[in-house]
Amino acid sequence: MSQPAVERTEAPPVPARRGRERIVLQRLLPFLSLIVLFVALAIASPHFLTNTNLSSVVRQTAVINIMALGMTMIIINGGIDLSVGAILAMGGLLGTMAMEKGFSIPAGILTGVVTGLLCGLANGLMITQLRIAPFIVTLGTLGIFRGTALMISGGLPVHRIPQQFSFLGEGNVLGVPFVLWILVGCALATHVLMEHTRLGRYTFAIGSNREASVYAGIPVKFHTTAVYALGGMLTGLAGMIEASRLMTGQPTAGQGYELQAIAAVVIGGGSLQGGEGSVVGTLIGAFIMGLLSNGSDLLGVSPYLQQAIIGAVIILAVTLDELRKRRTASL
Amino acid sequence: MLLELHHIEKRYGGVAALADGNLAVEPGEVHLLLGENGAGKSTLMKIIAGIVERDAGQMMWQGREVHLKTPSEAAAIGISMVHQESLLAPHLTVAENLYLGREERLPFGWVRRSRMMDAASRLIAEHGFPLRAEWRVEKLTPAGKQLVEICRAILHGSSLVIFDEPTSSLSGSEAAEVFRIVRTLRERKVGVIYITHRLDELESVGDRVTILRDGRTVHTGPLADLTTDGIIRHMVGREVSAMYQRTSLPPGEERLRVEHLTRKGELSDICFSLRAGEIVGMAGLIGAGRTELCRALFGVDPIDTGGIWMGGRQMSIGSPKEAVKAGLALVTEDRQITGLVLRLPIAHNITLAGVKSISRFGFLNGSAQNAAAEDFIGRLRIRAASPWQLAGRLSGGNQQKVVIAKWLFRQAQVFLFDEPTRGIDVGAKVEVFNLMDELAREGAAILMVSSEMAELLQVADRILVMREGRITGELPGRTTQEEIMRYAALETQPVSEERP
Repeated sequence: MSQPAVERTEAPPVPARRGRERIVLQRLLPFLSLIVLFVALAIASPHFLTNTNLSSVVRQTAVINIMALGMTMIIINGGIDLSVGAILAMGGLLGTMAMEKGFSIPAGILTGVVTGLLCGLANGLMITQLRIAPFIVTLGTLGIFRGTALMISGGLPVHRIPQQFSFLGEGNVLGVPFVLWILVGCALATHVLMEHTRLGRYTFAIGSNREASVYAGIPVKFHTTAVYALGGMLTGLAGMIEASRLMTGQPTAGQGYELQAIAAVVIGGGSLQGGEGSVVGTLIGAFIMGLLSNGSDLLGVSPYLQQAIIGAVIILAVTLDELRKRRTASL
Repeated sequence: MLLELHHIEKRYGGVAALADGNLAVEPGEVHLLLGENGAGKSTLMKIIAGIVERDAGQMMWQGREVHLKTPSEAAAIGISMVHQESLLAPHLTVAENLYLGREERLPFGWVRRSRMMDAASRLIAEHGFPLRAEWRVEKLTPAGKQLVEICRAILHGSSLVIFDEPTSSLSGSEAAEVFRIVRTLRERKVGVIYITHRLDELESVGDRVTILRDGRTVHTGPLADLTTDGIIRHMVGREVSAMYQRTSLPPGEERLRVEHLTRKGELSDICFSLRAGEIVGMAGLIGAGRTELCRALFGVDPIDTGGIWMGGRQMSIGSPKEAVKAGLALVTEDRQITGLVLRLPIAHNITLAGVKSISRFGFLNGSAQNAAAEDFIGRLRIRAASPWQLAGRLSGGNQQKVVIAKWLFRQAQVFLFDEPTRGIDVGAKVEVFNLMDELAREGAAILMVSSEMAELLQVADRILVMREGRITGELPGRTTQEEIMRYAALETQPVSEERP
């Protein structure tokens, strides 16, 4: 290295907050809220801390939670997927139809998962190849997937499913709901994918600054498409769990789930601008919503009011997050 | 006094951006505000323009203390600002941008478009700007956007206009136009605060100087009392002894050859070559096609005809991905948009183009990444608290070094630098030049686009001049500004025959 002309000895003009500390701080607030909520419910209702109730919370939340993991990747990428509710129905429907036609249970589940993957792949390809905004593409495919599901099934649910299939959504392994194991597995895999692989690194980069990513030689289209496909795959799995819990393949399943999945991501610190979000945050976000709805049931709060409460919590969570960001941001 | 600032303080979080800012501006004077990046110039200007509020200190406007809370409050008392970064609405026309927020107040929010267009056209014509009122701003070059910003600031008879590095994206004749506008304002008894990094242009504009260092005013006085060395000494806080010296060495083998490259409407019949160890300068006016050439070489824009050879093999470069793979690097002119991911840490930015080399089977090797980041932070003297600091929190010069580190980590062989010193301070400029020199000595081939001819003369081994999408001249490194201008602005000289 040649001698620099100007030696600087004083501290850098803008002292850094370490990136990791910042991320930890970002996760802290939702996590504390979750704990506070948990403790409050445990005090308020004697039925809350029972095995039955907690299992039911986990089962109710798992479907949204697994979808939200995929949504986390997509939102970090700077996109959005409004079609996940319809993908969930497509996956659940085709998976159960396969079983009805005589496929084994694993083959049926695989069918559902692959259906989700293909739907997500279609979204990704349209977004990257036609260069249309994700919001528009998935708004369109929301209609297309839902309509296709209704056409295939003639609007009727699939009922003739092997009894053992209910294990996926309702069974226990080592005394814990099977879906919790699945959720933990998916969450771990997504976390590793986002934090420790090239795909994850590129996803953060693309979501933070797509143009700079293109200029750095990153295969932006490939990785964007991959993220939608993975999101679809997780949604297909969620669709099979939903079908297993209801023991039907419903073409109308999952209506409005896309908004719950998005809500889980943003409560957990994800930014719809892209480039921000985490698996841990999303898990917390989904459980906060799950606990709110469970708690309201236990405490006899009207289901109408429940919806309003959850809506208010979304706004509150994002407001607090914004305030924190503004406070720590030095222009 | 038009404006007086006393002991202004401003903190962002725990960071003091301004500790003791003092400034006094009289009507009809051009007051230069100088200082390195991070010295607090921009913060001081934002306080004056009502964009941020001061924490402590006094601001007097025409003898009365004022507390400005919004830019429109500042505009109302006659303070306007020409921003360095474009703050225009890209999808609106030039005229709509000029009158944005100052439209005629008609019932139901109605806008009388034709009258606005006419007024804007008159203003543009009056100053002879190369703009048209009906053009959409997104189609303009950085220089064009800068002119719109200037128009906007002088539109409504302000008594104080702040120019924040107005010429950093302009070249020769356009900069002269800015100086002319500044002088007109001075004649009309308007106060002007002028921030610049280009020390060569001081004498063209300034009356008095205020120099900031580390958030404090360290000098104020007439420009005539200071030498360039004196100014730098105040800015840096010590002598800048060794200015940059280019190590001259015999050029090695050919690294890049471009033949008859043409892109309709932008580039025609571009031929040149770069050798290992060579720094080739690229001069020309704004709009001559230099940035377009970089974009075409790097695969951002497709080329119509012509070929690119690297290491003796013809390359087909259809995307930046392929360009990077071929060993090209592009240091873009707008590093915050296309060069860096500001919200990611330095470590991630440095390894961004070369993630493959720190990963196996798609999994990242965290310790290899951190080692690489620490290595480059040390080697390039990037002033950062840690590799985890976000790139957006670095000063301009350090950001530029991160961009360069990204391409070094990718082991690029041919570097295209597009305006590498834009918006970075004196000390950092010299460091960037030294880096380029070192790169060349290690065998890289470098093309350096710059609008600052003095820089090209200092750094380049030979200089290509572009005009209207063509290479109009090739000059030795030790040429003169007049000679460059002859090719950049005057009639086309045939040169392709002279090429070896």
